[in-house]
Amino acid sequence: MGVPIMRKLGFLVAAALLAGAPVITPVMAQDIGIGLDIPLSAPGDATGGQLIRRGAEIGIDMANVSGGALGKKFKLFVTDSQSTPAMGVANYRRLVSEDKVVAVTGFFHSSVALGINEVAKEMGIPTLSVQASASDITAKHYDIAFRTHAVDPVRVAAWMDFIKKKGFKRISMIAETTDYGIGLSDETIAQNKSGNFGLEIQKVTVDNKATDFTPQLLQIKAFKPDLVLNIAVGQPVDLIMDQATTIGLLPATPMLISYDAPTRPQYWKLHPKNGDGIYFIAYYSPKAKLSDLGEAFAKAYKAKYNEDPVYGALNGFGAIMIFQQAIKAANSTDPKALIKALEDGKFKSWPDATVTFPRADGVYWHNWVPPVLILQYTKPDQDWKEATVVVSYSK
Amino acid sequence: MYSTELVVQTAISGVMIGVLYALMALGITFIYSIMRMINWAMGEFYMIGSYLQYMLVAWLLGPDLWWLAILLSTAGVFVIGLVVQWGLIKPIFKKPPETRDDYATVVTLALLLFLRSVATGLAGPNQFKPGTNLSIVMVGPLPMDGARFAAFLFALVALAVFYLVLRYTWYGLALRATSQSRVGVQTAGIDVLAVDRVAFGIGVALAGLAGALLAPVFLVFPTNGMITTVKGFEIVVIGGLGSIPGALIAGVLLGLIESFGAAFVDSAYQNIYGFLLVLAILVLRPTGLFGERGREA
Repeated sequence: MGVPIMRKLGFLVAAALLAGAPVITPVMAQDIGIGLDIPLSAPGDATGGQLIRRGAEIGIDMANVSGGALGKKFKLFVTDSQSTPAMGVANYRRLVSEDKVVAVTGFFHSSVALGINEVAKEMGIPTLSVQASASDITAKHYDIAFRTHAVDPVRVAAWMDFIKKKGFKRISMIAETTDYGIGLSDETIAQNKSGNFGLEIQKVTVDNKATDFTPQLLQIKAFKPDLVLNIAVGQPVDLIMDQATTIGLLPATPMLISYDAPTRPQYWKLHPKNGDGIYFIAYYSPKAKLSDLGEAFAKAYKAKYNEDPVYGALNGFGAIMIFQQAIKAANSTDPKALIKALEDGKFKSWPDATVTFPRADGVYWHNWVPPVLILQYTKPDQDWKEATVVVSYSK
Repeated sequence: MYSTELVVQTAISGVMIGVLYALMALGITFIYSIMRMINWAMGEFYMIGSYLQYMLVAWLLGPDLWWLAILLSTAGVFVIGLVVQWGLIKPIFKKPPETRDDYATVVTLALLLFLRSVATGLAGPNQFKPGTNLSIVMVGPLPMDGARFAAFLFALVALAVFYLVLRYTWYGLALRATSQSRVGVQTAGIDVLAVDRVAFGIGVALAGLAGALLAPVFLVFPTNGMITTVKGFEIVVIGGLGSIPGALIAGVLLGLIESFGAAFVDSAYQNIYGFLLVLAILVLRPTGLFGERGREA
């Protein structure tokens, strides 16, 4: 005779509670729910997710202090995608069906954003990607899909500009096998061909759940590249850096990290000896002027976390501000009215520029693209705000 | 055409990582061989070992005493294992034998979720890296992180000590006897629940040791034990559940297959090669390379 089913169920419930499973509290009639789907655990970039969350939470506070919208307050519902599309889709369904949110934002990992948009186009609740760059997120021209982030072609154009400037000829790409890694590496190969750059490119793909990249890095070292493109997200970025240093690939060969991970406070704690000289993509220069909203946010962020906000936090905040203005403009939380307001409106966010989401061609559909920068650390323990701007690229 | 140097470097890299995988697998297979239960939370004990290593090095001992931190971290995980066995596992063994597997699975899965949530809550999602005073060393033609080489040596010593204790001490004899017949050792006057407690402590301490050793190499974060646990279970299937030599040989085999597959076949499928080996073993030799076929009446 097996264990009675109820006893087993009791154990499972206890396990779920022990795991800190969130208690589902549907949005109250007096609230406007906004969903935030971000990676908060591995293999996702949990730090990236946490930074977006910080920004969005302050955004909710500031939106509510300024009166909310339609006489109601905003409420944030946070879910953990773990960078897994299946988890992201399940989260989106729950946010829409149970929590009754009117919009969902976040989406650090491209695979998650792409998966969610396939469901969102049926369920109708708009999405706003703040740090997922795969072209298809907006290139599929779904009515519900919006984005405030640099897309693959722009990011690749920035590093092709950099490669040309430096006179590099042999390029190795170590790219994770996700929509992000594959999208960026394929785009690099395509632009090399279409732009007649004449580069010799080596593409090495890696599983983002792996921890030992030595075999792949040995292959890269044998190729003798002029530059290594580190196209991974989260822990693999740091592991690749460390393991490349061990086998002598770094610092002899320069490395460009494909996003702004080195701007995070933990960077120098992880790379006190091999962080100097690294190039990295960024989407915001602290030397650039912020909007009034951006300044107020930066002040609130500094007061709360005792550090300056980085791009992820700024964009998380910006998403909430954009939704507040769009709901006010639509005078409704009806999804179709909200989408129309997003398409037609001009929004204030953290940058000192107007944010719009036109029905533009190709990848620029519903997409506001920030300028892309390539920065370089030139001394150990350097504040990212002091990093040298090597390339500044605007679409 | 690949150079000889690249082949040799890949082989060394595979053996090094394989021995470290074996340490994890040994904990899983040891607990199973004594207690006939699978501890699904092994990765979380690996994670605890890595956090203890970080905290001891960063806050108490400093990078020069990294080796002492490893011993203390392992001991710390051993003590936590004793407490967990006493509080959560021992009551399971008071149930009828046929319900143990169900209870053990549910309890250790609950423990997995609980420990992971506690780590995320206390330490946040950021990665940490404990320092060491070790510099890069040359292993043949392969430059290797001093911490990784030290981890390899520590793992070899731990495996040797483990073997000697099991083979030549009275307590090792009791452990081996328990693995053969739990009823038999009770008739000889051995407190089998006390043996269980020590076995569970040693098993999770091996995972904690792997976590502490690899903390400077693979970083410290709440789910860092996940991938190592998967490798551990793959090795257990390849080597044979309950076989200690099998764990070591299968660990090295897995490390080599992953390294060569990633370097010379397709690097994207690094984690797939191990599963292919597992599938092949299950088809050709379901008990694993060194496992024994169970006897049925």
